[in-house]
Amino acid sequence: MSTAISRRTLLGGAAGAAALTAFAPSVAMAATDLRVYVVVVDGCRPDEAAGAYLPTVRSLAAQGTSFAAARAVSIAETIPNHVAMMSGVHPARSGVPANSVWDPMLGEVRDLGLPTDLLAPTLLDRLPAELGLATASVLSKDYLFGVFGERASHRWAPEPMLPITDHAPDVFTMQALIDVIDDHDPALVFANLGDVDRFGHADLTGSSLRLLRTLALIDTDAQLSRLVGHLRRTGRWDSSVVIVLSDHSMDWSLPLSLVNLAGRLDVDPLLAGNVRIAQNGGADLLYWVGPADQRPAATDRMRQLALATPGVLSVVDPASLQLGANAGDLVVFCKAGWRFSDPDVISNPIPGNHGHPATEPIPLVISGGHPAVRRGLVSSAPARTLDVAPTVAHLFGLGAPAGGWDGVARTEAFTGVPVGN
Amino acid sequence: MADQTYDRRSVLRATGAATAGVVLATTATTVATTSTASAAAPVFAHGVASGDPLPDGILLWTRVTPTPDATPGSGVGPTVNVVWEIATTPDFARVRARGRVSTGPDRDHTVKVDVTGLLPATTYYYRFSLDGAVSSVGATRTAPAADAAVSRLRFGVVSCSNLPDGFFAAYRYLAERGDLDAVLHLGDYIYEGGGGGVRPHEPAHEILTLADYRQRHAQYKTDEHLQRLHATVPVIATWDDHEVADNAWSGGAANHQPDTEGDYAARKAAAHQAYFEWMPVRTEADRIYRRLRFGLLAELSMLDLRSYRSEQVGPLDPGLGDPSRTIVGAEQLAWLESGLVGSGAQWKLVGNSVMIAPLQLPPLPAAQEAALTEMVGQTEGPSVNPDQWDGYQSDRRRLLTALKDNGVRDTVFLTGDIHSSWASDVPINAGLYPLTPSVATEFVCTSVTSDNFDEILGVPPRTTSLVLEAGIQALNRHIKYCELDSHGASVLEVTPDAVQMDWYYLANKADAASALTHGRSFRTRTGTQKVQSVGTPIGTT
Repeated sequence: MSTAISRRTLLGGAAGAAALTAFAPSVAMAATDLRVYVVVVDGCRPDEAAGAYLPTVRSLAAQGTSFAAARAVSIAETIPNHVAMMSGVHPARSGVPANSVWDPMLGEVRDLGLPTDLLAPTLLDRLPAELGLATASVLSKDYLFGVFGERASHRWAPEPMLPITDHAPDVFTMQALIDVIDDHDPALVFANLGDVDRFGHADLTGSSLRLLRTLALIDTDAQLSRLVGHLRRTGRWDSSVVIVLSDHSMDWSLPLSLVNLAGRLDVDPLLAGNVRIAQNGGADLLYWVGPADQRPAATDRMRQLALATPGVLSVVDPASLQLGANAGDLVVFCKAGWRFSDPDVISNPIPGNHGHPATEPIPLVISGGHPAVRRGLVSSAPARTLDVAPTVAHLFGLGAPAGGWDGVARTEAFTGVPVGN
Repeated sequence: MADQTYDRRSVLRATGAATAGVVLATTATTVATTSTASAAAPVFAHGVASGDPLPDGILLWTRVTPTPDATPGSGVGPTVNVVWEIATTPDFARVRARGRVSTGPDRDHTVKVDVTGLLPATTYYYRFSLDGAVSSVGATRTAPAADAAVSRLRFGVVSCSNLPDGFFAAYRYLAERGDLDAVLHLGDYIYEGGGGGVRPHEPAHEILTLADYRQRHAQYKTDEHLQRLHATVPVIATWDDHEVADNAWSGGAANHQPDTEGDYAARKAAAHQAYFEWMPVRTEADRIYRRLRFGLLAELSMLDLRSYRSEQVGPLDPGLGDPSRTIVGAEQLAWLESGLVGSGAQWKLVGNSVMIAPLQLPPLPAAQEAALTEMVGQTEGPSVNPDQWDGYQSDRRRLLTALKDNGVRDTVFLTGDIHSSWASDVPINAGLYPLTPSVATEFVCTSVTSDNFDEILGVPPRTTSLVLEAGIQALNRHIKYCELDSHGASVLEVTPDAVQMDWYYLANKADAASALTHGRSFRTRTGTQKVQSVGTPIGTT
């Protein structure tokens, strides 16, 4: 496929050059002391962020503001929430509602990991273009590297990639993050640490002891500690704002607690052969591909059958979640302790999943050594991943994009903002 | 003059609850500002109260005795117009609103005024007057604006105040603290029984009729500590069973015998009417379950766990898990579930009259089992308490599962009923806990006076109970605190970081002047859904 090839080419080209691939900024860098580091601990749960295994996150929270009611945007998946963080707009405007969607042009379900999938401007491209500030992306997963394309001034292509989890281990990602700081000192760095998510997905003890997950938490915290220590040692701490959050939470299911909708829809006389399903772990996106005049009846039938399926929590109109046209006709969420496995019952064997409402709560901490950071505050505000972009933009004095922000600048975390210009 | 400080619009924002044609024009009689009247004045013998704070409103309450024969429950006396006013200073130099409300024997001369147009998170003072007699001045406070960032709330939490069992010194303690936004009363505000103990009930017999319930409410409202509490802080109340009869359910009660006590529906209607007349609660169509918002920090859902519930079954009855049996009723359960899932507030507080955390009891000697049965309302047997949520497991599972399925954090059940102190994690599957997650927490306040374990057994406090408390915690891994002997009041502090409950215990409930001292403190940190012991009580700053 042309899209798949172009994506592979992009990854291959970058990874083939060097672990850290720097591109010459197209505009001159503006003089500013402010540095903002947005670090995503992929898949981290709020209770883990407050628990014993993430002392660095707890320390950052104590030195900054933590948002006790923070949530991911739906669908609680990796790509849409990273896009939300950097764009500050709903999926209906960014074009990225889920990890996986049905692509009618290709006639297949695919990940939204192409630069052309992201339709909205992001901080990674707006800061260089509008304020002349350098940005960098250090993302441990290839589809994240793909969807943000060449937007950042400096981009790290994740490697080495682990063969099963398909991500770069945190120890390498953190080294790349430190290197890009040392080499280019960007005003904004956007990083994703994938270990907690990837080892959580695979943790067969996730419903009880979470052995793999716990090991990942301990190691990821050590990597965060490296970052803080490096910023302190290099004299950057006092000019730094560090935002640590996750893109979604994680929920575990037992092997037989799976929902297979394809088997039910395909035997229905009205629906047979004319429904496509993009499975997103805890959410299924349903697409009617039959005659347009049958769409209302087909949608009603899909809703009816889905709601009658054990393990299904709810069926939602994508428009009500501001997901946009490529999210399909219906979104089906599973209950906690369940997962979708479509199109086949063996399609999704992994115990850890997210995407359903149970996995929307996230940790969100705004901290750092910058004197504008408010210390020791816990906020009840209903913060979302959407709020990262307007918050960072506010710090740098960057205005809203055309059409405005959908997120909210979390100015309660600061005194005397903006501080960047 | 007070007349110069309010306008007609502010006056007209107020309506008299449950009274027809409450109108006030700018010609309203001005309340004397140099009043020397006090709570002891016969016209206002039952004090003043406020309740159910909103960001822009508050419910004011009093009762007048316009003529000596217009005693509570008498059904006689004239219809009169009572003037109310509310101000931002206790000297009423700046009156925010004023009005006049009609009352008479049809509502036992009680007065309820739902004032609107007030400022959020503001302390107000209010008073009433009738024909030159002026009530004592009450203080109250509105709730923060719905979208306000709130750093702290403090509530008193009480339940189970059986007047013959002792004095209401716990109410006095809460009134004296001076740092509370409101007091939550979680039920058993009055008791229906007759007889006496430390002080006798009036009327002396078990109450059955509307006149009986009115007189009983009136007696409680003459208690000096209760009056002081109501005059100091808004109260947010719900009922449990004793506001009607012991172990009430939708169609009856353990303490109601139709053969000798008549139709239960008539008794319940009488009890509810008297409650609505005498309590500062805001109701819609006789529905008492309701929700109050306190900025972004907290939302409080007050439940009615008596009016819609199915009849209790025995502790080993298979009906315990029957999905056709309910403790909340389908409509209230849907209201509660959607409210918790869709709440825009961080902390979801639930005013819950009976315990929701599962409770398994260890095997006990017969006397101890009987004492515990009397206290917690079991009908028989040692294993579960079917008067609590344990007796309605389908409703509980549905509610707790909804919290888990929708990623609802920071739900805290605030509970009364069982005359003892508890702090618990609330797992869906207690049998596997802690291998299964907790989805909420629960703090149970003890009784203001109502007897508990040591008194029922007739043993000194902190003796026999210690063994049982240890057994309960060993058998129930989610229960972190259990204290079966003490009486008093609790103080709840809500901040974005944590919700903490302090239990304050009475030295001697038979002594009206008894002191209260700090007993224990537990808190739940945000996002944890677990309770933990805390050494230091909430300060009074």
